[in-house]
Amino acid sequence: MAPKRKSDDSTSPDPPTAREKKKQKTAMARTIPVQSVQAGSSGNSAAGPSKSVRFDSMQGLPTSIDVERFAEARSFEISAMEDAMKSAQSASTKRAWQELPRHLRRRAASHDVRRVPLRLREKARAEMDPQRKKALGRHVPKRGKHKQLPRTKQFLKRQLDKTWLETHIWHAKRMHMKNMWGYRLAVEPTEKSFRPSHRASVHGSILHDASYFALIELAGPEDILRTLLDSCSDYQGPSPGAKRFLTGARVCETHLYKHRSYPFDLIAPMAVIWRPVAQERTKPEAAHSEVSKSKKRRGKGKGKAKERERASGQAQPPRKVWIRVHPSVVHVTHQTLRVAASYALDAAKTADPSREVAEVDIVDLREHVNVFEIMGPKSSQVIKGALKPTNDNGDDFPKFWDSLSKLQSTGSLPRGMVVGFTVHDPRLSFPPKNAKLEGGLTSSPMTVFPSAKLAQSDIWDENVRNGLRKPKYKKKDIDERKSQNLVPGTPLQPTQKDNRVPVILIQRSVEGASPISPSSHHYASNSTALHGWTLIIPQGWAMAFLPSLIYTGTRTGGQRERQTQTYEGGCAYFPRDYPFTEAYEEYADEREIEEEDRWERRPPAKRVNYAKIGTRSPWKPDWEVVLGLREPPAQESEDPASELIPAQRADVEMESEETAPGTSTQPRKGKKEIRPWLLRGQDVPSILQSISSMINPSAGLLGCIDQLRIKRGQDPLGGNVRANELWQGALVRVRVLLCGRGNPEDLALLYRLDDEEARKWNEAEALRQQGVPAMLSEDTDEKELSKLVPSTDAIIGYVTTGHYSLSRGEGHAIGAVPVSCLIDLQQRDERLRTPNSLLVKIRDRGETICRAARLEVLS
Amino acid sequence: MVRFKNRWILVEFIPCTAPSPGRTPAAQAASGGIGGSDVETSSKQIWAALKQSVITHFGDTGWGAVGASLTVKYYSPRTNVCIIRVARDPYRIAWAGVTMLSTIDGQRYIPNVVHVSGTIKQAQLAAIQHNREVIARYRALAKTPAGYQDSYEEFLQTSAQEIEALQD
Repeated sequence: MAPKRKSDDSTSPDPPTAREKKKQKTAMARTIPVQSVQAGSSGNSAAGPSKSVRFDSMQGLPTSIDVERFAEARSFEISAMEDAMKSAQSASTKRAWQELPRHLRRRAASHDVRRVPLRLREKARAEMDPQRKKALGRHVPKRGKHKQLPRTKQFLKRQLDKTWLETHIWHAKRMHMKNMWGYRLAVEPTEKSFRPSHRASVHGSILHDASYFALIELAGPEDILRTLLDSCSDYQGPSPGAKRFLTGARVCETHLYKHRSYPFDLIAPMAVIWRPVAQERTKPEAAHSEVSKSKKRRGKGKGKAKERERASGQAQPPRKVWIRVHPSVVHVTHQTLRVAASYALDAAKTADPSREVAEVDIVDLREHVNVFEIMGPKSSQVIKGALKPTNDNGDDFPKFWDSLSKLQSTGSLPRGMVVGFTVHDPRLSFPPKNAKLEGGLTSSPMTVFPSAKLAQSDIWDENVRNGLRKPKYKKKDIDERKSQNLVPGTPLQPTQKDNRVPVILIQRSVEGASPISPSSHHYASNSTALHGWTLIIPQGWAMAFLPSLIYTGTRTGGQRERQTQTYEGGCAYFPRDYPFTEAYEEYADEREIEEEDRWERRPPAKRVNYAKIGTRSPWKPDWEVVLGLREPPAQESEDPASELIPAQRADVEMESEETAPGTSTQPRKGKKEIRPWLLRGQDVPSILQSISSMINPSAGLLGCIDQLRIKRGQDPLGGNVRANELWQGALVRVRVLLCGRGNPEDLALLYRLDDEEARKWNEAEALRQQGVPAMLSEDTDEKELSKLVPSTDAIIGYVTTGHYSLSRGEGHAIGAVPVSCLIDLQQRDERLRTPNSLLVKIRDRGETICRAARLEVLS
Repeated sequence: MVRFKNRWILVEFIPCTAPSPGRTPAAQAASGGIGGSDVETSSKQIWAALKQSVITHFGDTGWGAVGASLTVKYYSPRTNVCIIRVARDPYRIAWAGVTMLSTIDGQRYIPNVVHVSGTIKQAQLAAIQHNREVIARYRALAKTPAGYQDSYEEFLQTSAQEIEALQD
């Protein structure tokens, strides 16, 4: 290009116009290079060595030259054609950065050639406008640079009211960030990625930095810790002190309640990990107290609380437990644990006065570890490719590590399996390669079972973590070492000086119901379940691990992606699907303000008139009204279309009076003492089944709850809470499965159907399934039915999360309804002889069309 | 779409000056030293010869239809492969003109139309395919297996790598 332009310049006085230049450029790009006869033949016939080396025996035969020349000419032509095709497309129609895939494009690439890969730099330079660059004056050094604060200080200044994660800068360049729970967290990637992220979680792998989750360490005698955890964890299912968790081989996924107040005062989900007992090295008591003292010095605020109670009794081996909870509930968790600890110590003291002094240390380990959640079937291969374990891991570990590349998905592993090991600095072997999946379709079953030995990791050790506060070498030093490698591109050999990093790997599953639970038989939860790993690494190492983990195409997700995974897996997500928890209230209030503001900003003619279409509280679910604990706000405009409703409402009230005397009328007056609560846990389907057949379900429910409490050694509720109070305050979460069309949104309303309407809907659905056009019968036309306006009194619940579900291919929602309404629905189904249908109507808050849906109890 | 549409004709001009007519054309094409002439045929000459051929067989009307759009886009004297562009409507005239061409600048050739396509990309792909096929045919004749690998290839690669490494 250059010489041609020069010759043009020399012949004609005018410089070529832009149009001419462009024409010339396209012409250049479109010519196909031709191999000339002279150059080819002369060069080739003189090519001595190839002739003498290869065809020595056939020297002199004319064909020997021909073959080579022939093949060479053809190969030249093939490559010429391929190049021409590529250049014709790229040169004329694409800018340099357009040839890059979306995730490699950088904003600054429009003016900085160094932001495009090396192979495109020449092209990018040619495309750039040199005049503009000069005008911008980028080469002029910034004045007053010496007055600027150093980078670290600048960053610290920005973190006064929030904390950054270690990967903050990486994430902030690629994600929308938001202040949440005292951190600045990634919400969603800036590029379009809703569907790709879902696909990654189903077919590939996706990483989420969950370092913001709070970690609390409890240390103390085993029996005290067990009573402590028993008193404040979920009473359904196995307790965190159960034998299977006690060895530390598995993580206990449970829920935290306030001390002894189950089933009220749900706080949050929590994960409990016991430190595996090490036979060879038992830490002396002194080390513990020293550790906790050092904690106290660094403590900030009330989060770093430490409880030390003294009691006497026999010496138990000191154990450590890690509790992972959501960051929004750290303070409540600390309070609860403190209360539970003091009660547990008191109980131990009274039970055995001769016991030695016992103490429980509660240490806040927030920001002492980093946690990555890697979901998807490829996560095992990504981890195996990125991490290089050292040789001094336990005997079981190599077996486990070998089996990792045979795993199709971590769903085939024991749930919550813990593996501890030590790895080399992943930057030493930086460009990682995914491990190849071995074994094909018939992968051998997992041969390594979770054990305390396998779960052993040094990351539990405070001193080890402190020693690894910062990687010994910066990336710069490692790159320097790499550049001294004789053969470029070979990985570095770890030396004595390099850090060894202890890590913990925990199997993580997001699935609707555990395979053993009774709810799983009528819901194919396993089809949508997602599996992966949780990787726990020490503080300071996030940016050393992150590039290695995502280098092979693993996506990264923020809060939205994490929430979507849970939704697609068919689970409730904390806090949005946990009504009556403090975190939920916070979330709901924030959301109400935000949405109401948005609604207020629109002109009245352009926004949905919620009052007119009968949406009682459009921005926040009014659970207390739904439960009948509070009167609904006065209605100004009652729709005239619903004449049937009053009769229906009376009917329902009569029923509930039969079942639970005094529920419907009395508590509305003296409602102060009724506390709403959420019925949840893996036994919920069986509890509901057993109480639905009882004459007095409220007493049945109380009986079930009391049974659970007695099982954990607590007094039954009976003394302070009456059966109908418990009954009326109970909310249960449901899945909403649409019968036909429909795509429920968040905060959609669930309506009850009376017998008449339910029968019509059932008939309409039967007709639709047979393929009969609905016009035949006026009564059972689905379209007509969906237009019926329901009364606001018929609202039995709200959807907490709902949108189009990518894994199911249809609308899907998670909501909540009162237990009493659910039992009513079951009774109605029995009357109509349509068992287990739980038919309801669902309506988006801004729509008038109702859709039929079935409910399914979520555990 | 309203736009000017073309046809791209991929032709192989097989020179037939070789004394033995029994030999395969491609071998003749390759054996430049024996069969080929000293005069190099260029795309200009091909264009002129094609014009003559069209005028001879279709007269001025034929050339009038074809002439405005006829271009020789590519010609490689080594492989004798040529890509000719012509407007879509009269492309049969051009094709016939190519087929009935016998000499270019006194040199005798057998034109072999390999492919006719609507875009140059397809013509290029066809050229690649054609070249591959020709080579494969010769391989089959020489009884070389398809997965044949030069024994020196690996050696060359590793040594190149080593030399590169030593250069630093």
